[in-house]
Amino acid sequence: MNAIETTDLTRYYGALCAVDHLTLSVNNEIFALLGPNGSGKTTTVLMLTTLLTPTEGSASVCGHDVMREGELVRKSLSYVPQDMAVDIKLTGRENVRFFADLYGVPHAADRVDEALAVMELTDRADDLIRTYSGGMRRRLELAQALVHEPSVLFLDEPTIGLDVAARKRIWEHIRALRKKGMTVFVTTHYMDEADQFCDRVGIISRGRIAALGTPAELKARLMKDVITVKVEGSFAPLEVDGIAFVGRNGDEVSFTAENGREALPLLADALGKSGCVVRSMSLREPTLDDVFLQAVGQQEEPQGFEYNKFRIMLRRRK
Amino acid sequence: MNGVVSYMKRDFTKWFRGRVAVISALIMPAAWLIFVGLALPVQFTGNYLDFITPGILVMTMLSAGLSGGALLMFDKILGFLNRFLALPTPRSSILVGKILFITGRGLIQTTIILVIALLIGATLLSPVQYGLTYFILFLFGVLISAFATTIALYLEDHDSYAAFNTMISMPLFFTSSALMPYSVMPSWLATIAHLNPLSYAIDAVRDVTAGGFPAGPVLVLLILTGAVLAICMHVFRKVTV
Repeated sequence: MNAIETTDLTRYYGALCAVDHLTLSVNNEIFALLGPNGSGKTTTVLMLTTLLTPTEGSASVCGHDVMREGELVRKSLSYVPQDMAVDIKLTGRENVRFFADLYGVPHAADRVDEALAVMELTDRADDLIRTYSGGMRRRLELAQALVHEPSVLFLDEPTIGLDVAARKRIWEHIRALRKKGMTVFVTTHYMDEADQFCDRVGIISRGRIAALGTPAELKARLMKDVITVKVEGSFAPLEVDGIAFVGRNGDEVSFTAENGREALPLLADALGKSGCVVRSMSLREPTLDDVFLQAVGQQEEPQGFEYNKFRIMLRRRK
Repeated sequence: MNGVVSYMKRDFTKWFRGRVAVISALIMPAAWLIFVGLALPVQFTGNYLDFITPGILVMTMLSAGLSGGALLMFDKILGFLNRFLALPTPRSSILVGKILFITGRGLIQTTIILVIALLIGATLLSPVQYGLTYFILFLFGVLISAFATTIALYLEDHDSYAAFNTMISMPLFFTSSALMPYSVMPSWLATIAHLNPLSYAIDAVRDVTAGGFPAGPVLVLLILTGAVLAICMHVFRKVTV
């Protein structure tokens, strides 16, 4: 039995298809759902946590169907949304105790102490949250989520708005939880973090999975080296033997090649002949950013402003 | 049941730690009591303060209930509601916790108003009469807070909730029997006042202070509260974002 299993999971907001026949199974790992804003990440999490009813398809968490066995599903998971929702007029301990009581955890006081200790908040446990930093608030939310020892943890953008040190710390905590056997499902749009800390990633674009695998596998699917060229003037995709076009992001164009050093002069020539001015070229190993670019295409949102879609997006944010 | 107590405890702790709000909610009803109750020259009764006090008590509960709806609005805007909905705790206990907190807070506030009324010259009642008064205020508080909390669940943001609050609180108060008996109202107003749920609570409290038992108004309140509560519980059980 997989911790999370979805089959053709679909959700429409009016005519807008936010999640489009998503089929996924996640078990005993840190799984990251990557995607640009509005690609359906949060909608997927809301359906898996029973906050939103799917339009079509089915999903289960720990073997319980999200539509028919909502309460059992909610018993086995914890959900930390992206807005930092902790009560600033309560202390750290009170905040965690509140969740322990809601979950009906036995020996609540001990469990609360334990969860605070795991998140390294013991020495500040009796201070009001008002005095906590952003990173500490996020750790407190994790402590609240851990207090009933869930089997599956859903984290929506767990490191958004945090500084580098706080991010690293949050990820170390998440890795530690995974080691204890918890399944962690995160959404993020920080590629480097997914690359470094997650076991498997799924890249989602317009509600569909565009690429799925371990970060290493996905990077290996591209060829060996990545060449990034800064160009000026018009650029038309061109054909050079042994070099493949990956994608374009602003004035940066990316290619991959089996042997980057040999490809560099060939590419410079070809670009020069096609009439664009090459400003700089660089050679590096592929990152998830390249995978993402290839899977999703241009990063800008191409549509013009549509008031109704904007409103739907706003509502989805809440 | 666990959930209800936890949700209620959270709101009470937060309320007691925000001292300004504890006092500020009392200014309006106290001002009505003093500046209208003591000052308005009326012919239909010798002790206008005793007449208006039940109206002001119910009004205190009304504004406590309506402003209490904003609590759920903030929980929703700040992301707490999503976390609560993902808990195995029955979703209806979010509603019941709010109702008990808002009504409890309202009862504390009405007690202070009652003390002020006594200090400035209202007639002291028997313990049984006070017991009945509190029972009626509790019923009315449950009715208003269930309604306000459920409305907040459906409105988009705090501005629209504030607009809803202003839109209904004053008209409800002025078209009730709070300020004058039906006999001195123009007939159109008397008709509206007879349909206003606020009037039933006020009439019930007024009957109690006059020494009677208001079986009719209490029955109406019971039925109304029961019906609204049942609908709101159903809405909360089914809620999705």
